[in-house]
Amino acid sequence: MLSQQLVNGLVLGSTYALFALGFTLIFGVLRVINLTYGFYFTIGAFVALTVAREFGANIWVALPVGALSAGVVAVVADWVLLTRLRRAKAGELSSLMVTLGAVLALYSLMAVFIGTDIQRFPFGFVDNTAIEFGSIRISLVQMLIVGTTFVLVAVLFLLLQRTKLGLMIRALAENEDAARLMGINVGLTVAAVSFLSGTLGGAAGVLIGLNFNAIQPFMGEHMMLRGFAVIIIGGLGDIRGALIAGVLLGVLEVLTAGYISSNAKEAVAFTILVLTLWFRPVGLFGRAQAKRA
Amino acid sequence: MDGMTMAEWLDDFLFTYETLIHALGVHGLLALSMYCVMAVGQLSLGQAAFMGIGAYTGALLTLNLGLPFWLVLPLSALAPAVVALVIGGPTLRLSGVYLAISTIALGEVLRVLYINAEWLTGGALGLSGIPRKADLWLIYLLLFLAVLGFWAVGRSKIGRAMEAMREDEAVAGVMGVNLPVYKMGALVVSAMLAGLAGCLTAHSNSFIGPNEFGFEMAVTILSFALLGGIGTPIAPVIGALVLTSLPEILRPLQDFRLVINGLIIVVAVLFLPRGVIPFRLRRAP
Amino acid sequence: MSRLLSRVGAAALGSLMSGSLLVSPVMAQQTVTVGAIEILSGPSAAYGTAIKGGLELAMDEINAAGGVLGGKKLGLIVEDSAGNKDQAVNAARKLVGRDKVPVVIGPTLSNEMFAVGPVTNDRKVVTIGTSTTAKGITEIGPFIFRTALPESDVVPVTLKAAKDKFGVKTIAMMYANDDAFSKSGFDSMKAAAEQLGLTIATIETFGSKDADFSAQLTKIKGLNVDAITISALVEPISGVVLQARQLGIPDSVRFIGGNGANSPKLGEIAGTAADGLLVGSPWFIAKKGETNEKFVSTFKQRYGKDPDQFAAQAYDTMYIVAKAIDTAGAADSDKIREALYKTDFNGVMGPFTFTEGRDPASNEGVVVLSMKNGRFEILE
Repeated sequence: MLSQQLVNGLVLGSTYALFALGFTLIFGVLRVINLTYGFYFTIGAFVALTVAREFGANIWVALPVGALSAGVVAVVADWVLLTRLRRAKAGELSSLMVTLGAVLALYSLMAVFIGTDIQRFPFGFVDNTAIEFGSIRISLVQMLIVGTTFVLVAVLFLLLQRTKLGLMIRALAENEDAARLMGINVGLTVAAVSFLSGTLGGAAGVLIGLNFNAIQPFMGEHMMLRGFAVIIIGGLGDIRGALIAGVLLGVLEVLTAGYISSNAKEAVAFTILVLTLWFRPVGLFGRAQAKRA
Repeated sequence: MDGMTMAEWLDDFLFTYETLIHALGVHGLLALSMYCVMAVGQLSLGQAAFMGIGAYTGALLTLNLGLPFWLVLPLSALAPAVVALVIGGPTLRLSGVYLAISTIALGEVLRVLYINAEWLTGGALGLSGIPRKADLWLIYLLLFLAVLGFWAVGRSKIGRAMEAMREDEAVAGVMGVNLPVYKMGALVVSAMLAGLAGCLTAHSNSFIGPNEFGFEMAVTILSFALLGGIGTPIAPVIGALVLTSLPEILRPLQDFRLVINGLIIVVAVLFLPRGVIPFRLRRAP
Repeated sequence: MSRLLSRVGAAALGSLMSGSLLVSPVMAQQTVTVGAIEILSGPSAAYGTAIKGGLELAMDEINAAGGVLGGKKLGLIVEDSAGNKDQAVNAARKLVGRDKVPVVIGPTLSNEMFAVGPVTNDRKVVTIGTSTTAKGITEIGPFIFRTALPESDVVPVTLKAAKDKFGVKTIAMMYANDDAFSKSGFDSMKAAAEQLGLTIATIETFGSKDADFSAQLTKIKGLNVDAITISALVEPISGVVLQARQLGIPDSVRFIGGNGANSPKLGEIAGTAADGLLVGSPWFIAKKGETNEKFVSTFKQRYGKDPDQFAAQAYDTMYIVAKAIDTAGAADSDKIREALYKTDFNGVMGPFTFTEGRDPASNEGVVVLSMKNGRFEILE
């Protein structure tokens, strides 16, 4: 049973990490806690669902379409909501509030028109049967989630470290004015980062929606609360930290529910979050610098 | 029905709109509690959580210990103040987003606590049968006193320091404003106000549950303050009045209540950084 | 601000006029109006809409057959609560303070009733829940009744059937611990399981918005139980059932659901994974008997869809209220309350009387349903 629980934890943790990647990327580069991120997650899932339902698309079409649409939504949302604030050099709290208001309006608008009933991909959209390895059972979707998470982290790393775009993004993250002086097109780089993180969020929405087979407007909001915990524990803006913190959290939650009490499962994330804030606000892995007031 | 006297009519009218009239006053207090934090340039998303602590503390003291209401009320303000100290300790030293995020987390932690501490809080079933002791005059007296207090503080030297912090924290620090004390003070006072509001709600609705003091309520409180703006203490109160009564007057808006609250926040931050009511307090010379 | 004031002023004036002018003595004599508070908008609107359908169908039948109190018409004002308890209280205050109804039917959810009940009970206005199944509803006060069978009457029937027909001895229990409906359903289940002498191997909880139940189900799988009871709303139940089969809990381990599982949505969402699930219901569409068959066919004709248990309970309730008004001889809340105690009615749910505690007296009408190919069937 322990081995199965560890697999359960790895899968759950991968969903947390997958969700947190784009979220922490936005903060790392643009210095914004962008709460509309939860909506990119929702919209990715809904676009994939619509494509699958209306056009009978399979997963290999629905996944990229959902993810890329979320990327486009992210670029638009960032442009509408944050350009003005960025230009005025408004504080990070202003951007947090704007995205908070926007995401609430977006979720609620979706709920008014689509309803909050849980929707699902058509039966047989992916093979949901479990594969058995000895006493362990894992489904194809679950393997896809774990695999995608690790691959995406690697790709993101290479992109940031080895490409010209990566260099531009890192320069922007370091210092916006300096980047501009160096001749970097800041507007374009910001859009690229938004697109990247939106796509990551959308992909997470499709895969997680598929795994739990539950898609509804507020799914991003429920995930967001875990997302906060993961990016703070991993260190704000730290991509490797988000991966480790996500998986760690998933495993701890499952073990708590399996061996201590399922009542305590909900409390795990926030207990670690509070401890992190008290003792190590820079995150467990200490690379991100918390701006001291 | 025909020979209805004025007194009877008034009685029916008050009965019909009692919940709304109570809510207007309580929401005014909540808006002020938000104002108090924002006045020093911080953002707390824990006002709903502080309200919940006040509500549960008040309800439990009344139901289990039968304490008189004049004692229950201040104790309900004290409990969230202690929690604010614990939360503020580590987070106020860091940049503003840490306070915002940890106050969201606070709401979640408390929800789990209310659900699991069934022997005390009634779990998911909540607490019912709380006597209705929050009289109309009491709610509005407290609201009046709170506005008066903030107005007086706003005109004093403290108010000037708070405004300097809001404009530019670093400069205010250099000018000799004791930043940590001001931030912590504002957070504690705001938690007390929210706690009062919670206690009044519990003793006016007679029923409280664990899911009422969550994220949605926190955002609603924020929208009160942002609609009014934080130029003067009366502005957020007016914001609360408008946003509370609007859906009652325009019933078809009910479905879009949260959409409107969200849009108000967006528009207010982007285009009306001083709120819809842009007047500012004139300082004492 | 001045706009707001003038609006309040207008409302006040309107109330004044309705008090003296609009409700002329003639009108007042011709109609007896009762109120209802149901969820007509928002995510749970399906429940309230079904209830409203049942109430209005019964009302029209009653009026066609001569109305109440020897020829007066029965009227109904339905207010929307949107599933929000504050809105439900505001609706109740309007029905009582402005419309002066002697009887309030509803509200839809137990949570809403816990907020509305104390208000209407203080004003001594009879309030009848048609869908509120939680513990403690009628204990709110002497004016609070319900026609919905509480979970504590339904669940024992289901568990007994599972024990007698399938030899269930050891069970695992699961419930959503963050909402009142699920928690109170679980409390009744646990009491019934102990009463029947079943062994409870473990009790596992989850949040009603959770999507991952693998930790709890893996633990349950290791305990080799005969059945799993579950108390939650239909959506998490569907998720649990799907994941259980995915984790390899065999089909021979049946799920036993509370009231939340009694929804056709379960089959739509979970498909055949839900097969074998047992649930007790106070009413079933295929129930035999002339009254029920007539109700089902007229309902279908009028609304173009099948009635559900909520519509059925509401339909019976309207008849019970009309009879009580006749017995009372006046549209007076106190007298109607007395009359309700004397209710002896045979409707679509079966024979109905109230206990001294204002709950339904008998659970004879309960049928146990079993899921097969995504649809409910009566368990023979």
